[in-house]
Amino acid sequence: MSRPVAKKAAAKGEYIETDSGNKVSRRSAITGTANITLGGRTVIMADVVLRGDLHSTRPTASSSGKEGTPTSISIGKCTVVSTGTVLKPPCRMSRGAPNFYPMKIGDNVFIGPNCVISAIAISSHVHIGANVTIHPFAVIKENVKILPNTVVPSAMVIAPGSVVGGRPARIVGEVGEGWGVSGGGAGGGLGVGGGGEEKWVEGGDLRELVRSIR
Amino acid sequence: MAQPFPYTYYACDCYDSNGTSSTKRASQLLREAEEDERTFDPRSPRANYSLYPLEHLLYCEDCQQVRCPRCIIEETLNWYCPSCLFEVPSSVVKSDGNRCTRSCFSCPLCTSPMQTFSLDTTGESAPPFILECQYCRWSTLEIGIEFEKGQGIAAQLARLGNGGKHIPTNKERDKERERRKEIEGRKARDVLSPSTESTNTDADRDDEPPSHDDLFSNLTAFYKSQVDAQTPSNPFSSHDINFSSPSAYSRIMNLYSTTGSKKNKRSKPSAMREAASSLEGLTLHDPANEAAAIERIKKEGWGVTLSPAQKHAQINPNVRFVDQLRPLATLLCTKRSKRCRSCRQILTKPESKMTSTRYKIKLLALNHIPRLSIRALNATPPIPVASRPADSFDYNALKPGMPSHFLLHLSNPLFDPIKVTLATPSTTPGRVQSRVTILCPQFDVGANTDIWDDALSSSLSPMRRGSQLPDQAPQIEAGKIWDRGRNWTSVAVEIVPGFTDAVGSDGQNELEEDEDVLEIPIFVRIEYETDAGADERGLGDSRGSKGEQEKREEAFWTVVGVGRIKG
Repeated sequence: MSRPVAKKAAAKGEYIETDSGNKVSRRSAITGTANITLGGRTVIMADVVLRGDLHSTRPTASSSGKEGTPTSISIGKCTVVSTGTVLKPPCRMSRGAPNFYPMKIGDNVFIGPNCVISAIAISSHVHIGANVTIHPFAVIKENVKILPNTVVPSAMVIAPGSVVGGRPARIVGEVGEGWGVSGGGAGGGLGVGGGGEEKWVEGGDLRELVRSIR
Repeated sequence: MAQPFPYTYYACDCYDSNGTSSTKRASQLLREAEEDERTFDPRSPRANYSLYPLEHLLYCEDCQQVRCPRCIIEETLNWYCPSCLFEVPSSVVKSDGNRCTRSCFSCPLCTSPMQTFSLDTTGESAPPFILECQYCRWSTLEIGIEFEKGQGIAAQLARLGNGGKHIPTNKERDKERERRKEIEGRKARDVLSPSTESTNTDADRDDEPPSHDDLFSNLTAFYKSQVDAQTPSNPFSSHDINFSSPSAYSRIMNLYSTTGSKKNKRSKPSAMREAASSLEGLTLHDPANEAAAIERIKKEGWGVTLSPAQKHAQINPNVRFVDQLRPLATLLCTKRSKRCRSCRQILTKPESKMTSTRYKIKLLALNHIPRLSIRALNATPPIPVASRPADSFDYNALKPGMPSHFLLHLSNPLFDPIKVTLATPSTTPGRVQSRVTILCPQFDVGANTDIWDDALSSSLSPMRRGSQLPDQAPQIEAGKIWDRGRNWTSVAVEIVPGFTDAVGSDGQNELEEDEDVLEIPIFVRIEYETDAGADERGLGDSRGSKGEQEKREEAFWTVVGVGRIKG
């Protein structure tokens, strides 16, 4: 686990690469970096807004004694957050004051461009299309595909292996058994892989995609 | 599910087999021979049911055939609620139906999930509670329902009618029915000996027509009584067999007695009658209801009525107005294993635990037939990033009449090198005819060996020559492949999109929906030699042992969606 602030002195490029391989765009808007954890090999593209400053204000029960910095957004490994997407931890009013809850995103999650995400939890191998809005406290389980321009209503739980779409989102199908399986390590992801460089599929291992982004 | 261009669909073999008919006439055989000649038409209505993305296809290793969702059998492993993710035992599913019996409800207006909120303003969660949709803000307050507890909403809702009325339970219904039957009986007697007493004592309770649920329970009770009357002593009913009783003994003896005595015993069953009154579940048409509904629409407009989808989602089919809506309990989902329809081999079997998303068995077509994909020749590798330069190819605006080149990319998941033959009709089927030429229809694709085998082999293997030629970009040449790698080969395809306006003007009728989509049917035939016994021993040691080689062949149709023609 490393924080995006741990910069490596590198040649000026689009991305700042951390020791654990996270690639964070110089043009992203990240607030409250201390409250954000990136799992490694995760890409934060340009114009992404990560609201790490919106962390839980409620004094945590001092069972552990020493209090660390509260986490507001934690993102797993090989996750790609595309341009213009906003990640904002969900908020609930309690006793007249807004209280933010930490947002958790798993491994190998692809989040398309221009999304607004306030989900409480997104599991691994999830593919989120472009212009998707996820309202607060939605829970998205493993192997889910969210079609572009979907609005997921608040507190919706999307069961593993579903395809959802529409406004409000409803389950429109199931992902096939082959979801996330790139045929025997073969090239040609997304049905478009041309020169054999694209070795990733929706919901599959995004390591190759992360590698290709520079 | 519409996929973004370009896409590839695979046609399952089952698309033109009209069942496995045993008797084939000569004419039928002749027609089949003709059908073999014919090319696959992605626009035929039947094709709709056989085209699938590769991820959705399975592969039966016994039949050595691709299996689509139409040629598999599903077996339910368990039921679960997609909202609370709790597993529901099948006994509960049988008794309570296929809906969640906890607190999962969806909004009757917009289908999004509803949440329980307390109406208490002090901030504590205290009664009363309501269900509210956070998406369209519909709440159970609009139908006058409040709950006393925050848990077990389904049980509470079952007892609460709209407007806070009490819904009788099944027991209460039974009692009520008995009471009414008694009254009816008394009335019938009263007709014979007219007297005014006891006629209007129950008038206050009889004024309301029975609800849908009442009628249903009446009907089930009536049918049950009819069935019971029909089979007074069912010899097969196991629960009332008591071997010590003489009646049971005679019944068993009857079972084994001769046919002659059976004939005497079996009297012709009298016909069951249908329900004749509302007490027996007959729904009586009441014109006053209709008039009232029309009157209401006149007064309040269409806004108070329901859309067909909303009406359809309701459990009660007679619901018409928004104040009759009920929150919808979430429908349960299933985890299913899949079997081949012809040989019954298990193709996929997920782990039955709710929390697990893994599979015990998963035989995918992905691992057995090559993946075919197409992209425009000059397009940059597709990374869905908004910051990509604008010169990327627009698949939604193919120019008619302009020859353009595409790359057909074929990757091989098998552990043996394959020989591929591609075939396509020179013009696409349909009214918008595009010309298609595959420049190199026959080529080889390397085996899907370990990546490291390739890297460790010191000499330049002939496999990799194509992609390692450093001097210039490959030339488009007929009969030559474009590029190749370890287990993939790409060939160039020349496509001249057809004219859409030509069809629109001379045919008098406009283009129908999606007729301007350029879809190319491509026939793929692969040939390879493999270890004959490899399947039995598993794929792991297939390379180590030298068994006899077996020639295998696979052929299937694919449909490649290239893009949309914009003239």
